[in-house]
Amino acid sequence: MLQIDHLTTADAKVTLDDVSFVFEAGKIYTILGRTGAGKTELLRALMGLNPLTVGTVKLDEEDITERPIRARNMSLVYQQFINYPHLSVLDNVAFPLRRQGKDKAEAHALAGQMLTTVGLGEFLQRRPAQLSGGQQQRVALARAMVKQSRILMLDEPLANLDYKLREQLREEFPRLVADNVESVILYTTTEPREAMELGNTMIVMHDGRVIASGAPADLFAHPPTKDTASVISDPPISFISGFVRDNCLYFSEGHLAPSEGLLLPADGPVTIALRPDAIEPDGAFNAQIGLSEFSGSQTIIHLDFDFGRAIMMVDGIEAFTAGNDISVSIRSEHIMLFAPDGGNITLRNNQNG
Amino acid sequence: MNKVYHTLKTIFLLGWSIFVVFPFLWALTTSFKDANAITSGATYIPWVDFEPSSQGWTSLFTTGSQGINIIGPFIDSAVVTLIASLVSLILGTLAAYGLSRFEYRLGFVKNSDITFFFISQRIMPPIVLAIPFFLMLKELGALDTIFGLVLVYIALLLPIAVWVMTDFFSGIPKELDEMAMTDGCSPIGAFFRVILPNSVPGLVVAGMFCLIFGWNDFFFAFTLTFTETQLLPVSIVSLNSSVTPWWSLSAFALISVAPLACVAVIVERYMSRGTMSGAIR
Amino acid sequence: MLSSKHFFLLPALLTLVAIILFPLLFTVRVSFSSWDVFQSGLDFIGGSNYVRVFEDQRFWQSLQRLSLLSIISVSLQYTLGFALALAVWKQVRGGRLMRVLFLIPMMTTPVVMSVIWRTVFHESLGPVNDILSAFGVGPVPWLSSATGAFISVLIVEVWQWTPFMFLLLLAGLVSLPKEPYLAAAIDGAGTWRTFWQVTFPLMAPITIGALIIRLIEASKIMDTVYVLTSGGPGTATETSSYYIYIRGLRDFQIGYSAALSLVYLVIMIISLTIIAKLLLRMLVGKDE
Repeated sequence: MLQIDHLTTADAKVTLDDVSFVFEAGKIYTILGRTGAGKTELLRALMGLNPLTVGTVKLDEEDITERPIRARNMSLVYQQFINYPHLSVLDNVAFPLRRQGKDKAEAHALAGQMLTTVGLGEFLQRRPAQLSGGQQQRVALARAMVKQSRILMLDEPLANLDYKLREQLREEFPRLVADNVESVILYTTTEPREAMELGNTMIVMHDGRVIASGAPADLFAHPPTKDTASVISDPPISFISGFVRDNCLYFSEGHLAPSEGLLLPADGPVTIALRPDAIEPDGAFNAQIGLSEFSGSQTIIHLDFDFGRAIMMVDGIEAFTAGNDISVSIRSEHIMLFAPDGGNITLRNNQNG
Repeated sequence: MNKVYHTLKTIFLLGWSIFVVFPFLWALTTSFKDANAITSGATYIPWVDFEPSSQGWTSLFTTGSQGINIIGPFIDSAVVTLIASLVSLILGTLAAYGLSRFEYRLGFVKNSDITFFFISQRIMPPIVLAIPFFLMLKELGALDTIFGLVLVYIALLLPIAVWVMTDFFSGIPKELDEMAMTDGCSPIGAFFRVILPNSVPGLVVAGMFCLIFGWNDFFFAFTLTFTETQLLPVSIVSLNSSVTPWWSLSAFALISVAPLACVAVIVERYMSRGTMSGAIR
Repeated sequence: MLSSKHFFLLPALLTLVAIILFPLLFTVRVSFSSWDVFQSGLDFIGGSNYVRVFEDQRFWQSLQRLSLLSIISVSLQYTLGFALALAVWKQVRGGRLMRVLFLIPMMTTPVVMSVIWRTVFHESLGPVNDILSAFGVGPVPWLSSATGAFISVLIVEVWQWTPFMFLLLLAGLVSLPKEPYLAAAIDGAGTWRTFWQVTFPLMAPITIGALIIRLIEASKIMDTVYVLTSGGPGTATETSSYYIYIRGLRDFQIGYSAALSLVYLVIMIISLTIIAKLLLRMLVGKDE
C-alpha cells in the first residue's frame, strides 16, 4: 500500500498542490489529465526526483519521503523511449537486477524471460537504437517490470507511438503487467479512452490537484465537477450557460431547453453540459454547421447555435458542408447540469437512491 | 553561369589547397637539401634541382656536437601534453557533469557563473599569467620541471574540457541519469555506469582539443623551462636562433607537427557525423 | 557537508582557483610594487606603475597594432573559411580529402610553422621571392620592411587559423535544417539570394561564436610574431603581449609589467564584450 499525504512542490513550471491518495497493491491506477495538469510531477515527486515542500510518502506504513531514489523500490517508464544506449537489450533489462546484487547468470536468465514475455525474445543482443519505437518502449517496460518493484509507474508510455502500435500495446498492456500482483501500478495519460480502458481506478488531475477519483465508468457517467467532466470527455463536452426559471431550463438566449426527466434546481444560473451523444440530427433546434471531421468511423460536427457552440457525433462517414444550416434535437437524458461553482447538480427522476 | 561558378569554385579550392600544402612541401624538400642546394637560391625538385641528402634527418638522431637531439624534447612534449590533457579531461568531465546536473549555490554565485568562470579563462592572455606563474613555480622549486609545466597546462586545458563537456552533457537527457538511479545506482554510480560510457564522442572531441592546445603551446614552455625540460616548440625556436642549418630545422619541424596532423583525420570524421556542432555552440 | 554533487565539481574548481586565481591576485599586488631587476620583493609605491602605463606610447601603439592585426586577420579568416566551407559543403568528389587537408594547419604548432615560414619568406633564398622574380616582381623585403613584416604575419595567421573558421562553419552548415532550403527553392530563389536570405541568417549564431573565439585568440598573438619578426623591424610588428613580455621577462621589470598586463586584460575584456554585443545586434537583431 502506498499512501501519499499533502504532496506539494514548488520551483517548477507545474507544481503539485496538496495531493493526497492511498494506492493499493495489485491495482492499476490511471491518472488522467491534460498536459500540464501535474501528472508527471506527481510521479516524479513519488520517485524522489522532484523535491517536496510539504508532504509525506509512505510505503506500507513506512515513511520513505527522505529515502534516496535508488532505495525506493520503484520503477518508471518514460514517455520518451529511454533505454541505456550503450547496453544490449538483454543487458538493459538485466541492469536493475545486477544493481540489486544478482549475479550475471541469474540476471540474464530473468531478463531473458521478461523480454520473452514482452515479445522481444529474439532481439536480446541488439542495441536499443536498432529497434523500432514500439520495441524500444517494450524494452523500457521490461526493465521496469523485471525488478518486481513495489511501485511501477508509466508516464504516458504510449504517447510517442504511432496509432497502430499504440492500439496494439494498449491491448497487450493488462496481460503484460498481470504478473505484478505485488505492485501498485500508476499509469498517466492524456487520453480519456485509454484511462478508462486500462484503469481499475481512475484519478483525474487538473492544475496540480486531484479533482476526482473512482471507477472509470462511474466517473464518466457522473463527473463530480465541471472540470472533471471536461477532462474525461473525448470528443470534448460543450458547456453552454443557461438558467432555470419557474422549473424550466433555458439556454442563455432564452431558448427553452429540453429537461424531461431532469430534476431542476432552484431558479438561477446553471451551466448546461452537452456531450456529443446528447445531440442528434433532425429536431427543433437550428444551428449552422462549422467544421466537420472524421474520427474512425464517426463524423464529428461542430455546430453554432444562437446560444453557443456544441459538438454532435454521428455514426458513419457523412459529408456535412460547412456553412449550411441544420436542424437537430437535444436529448435531455444526456444533459448534465453544473452549478456556478462547478459542482455537478444533475439529478434525474429515474435515479434510485 | 553555373559553369563559370563551378570553374571559379574549383580554382579557389585548388588555390587554397596549394597554399595549405606549400609550407609542408617546402619543408619536406628543404629537409633533404645540403648546403649547396640552399645557398644557391630556392630549389624545388630533388634530383633535378638538387642532389638529395639525408643529413637533415640523421642529424636529429645523432648525439654529440654535430647532432641535434629531438628524442628528448619529443618525449618531454608528449609526457607533459598527455598528462595535462588526461588530468584536465578527468577533472573537466566531472565538473561539467556536476554543473549540468546539480544545483550549486555559494552566496550569489550560481551554476552559470561557475561555468562562466571556467570558460572565461580562455580570455586570459598567457602573458598576464606568465609572470605570477614564473614566481609561483620558483617558490615551489618547480621551474624547469615537467611537474611545473603540467600544473600550468592543466590551468590552460581545464577550461577547454569543461566547455566542450558541459555542452555535451546538456545534450544527454536527464532522464537517463534518473533511470539509472531508479534502477539502483547512486548519483556517482549513475555517472560512471551510464553517463560515462555514453560520452565517448564528447570525450574524443574534448580530448583532441586538449591535445592540440597542449602540444602547440609555446609561450608557457618558453617562459617556464630552460635546459632540464625542453619541449619541442621551445627547442626548435632555440635552434632557429642559433646557426642551425635549414635542413635540420625543416626535418625537426616536420616531426613535431606530424602527430597532430594525423588528428585532423579524426576531427574530420566527427565533424561529418555532425557531432561537432553541439560542442561548438 | 560534502554530498556527492561536490565530488563532481570541487576537484576542478579548486584546481583552477589554486592555479589561476591566486597568481592573478598576486599580479594585482605586484603591480603596486617597484619590483625589478635591481630590487626584488613587495614594496608599495601606490599607482605610479599605472601612471607610467598611461604615458607609455609604445604600449598604446602596440595595442593599436594588435587591434588592426586582429581585425584584419579574423575578417580574412572568416571570409575565406566561410567560402571554403561553402565550397566543400556539398562537394562529393574529393570532399573528404579536402576537409582533412584544410584542417591540418590549425593542428600544427604555430611557432614551428613560423620557423618554416621564415625560410619561405627569406629575401634571397626563399621560394616566394624566387617565384615572384619569375614574374618580374621583387625582391620583396618580406621581413625587413615594416609593411612586409606586417603582411607576413597576416599571411601566417590566415594560413594557421582559417581552418578553425572552416571547421566551425562547416560543422554549422552540416547541421542546418533542410526545410528553409526547400522553401527557398520553391520560391525560385537563386544561389546568391538563397545564401543571403537562408544560409547567412541561419549561420548567425555560429558566426558570432566563431568570430568571438577567434578574436579572443587573436588578441593574444605573440608566438608567431616572436619567431617571424621578433616584433621588428623596430617595433613594426610588436603586439601588446610581446611588449609586456619584453618589459617583464626580458627587462625583468616585474612590477611595471604586472600593471601593463592588468591594463591590457581589462581593455581586452571591455572591448571583447562590446564587440560581442555589437555582433549580436548586427547579426541576430536584424532578422527578428
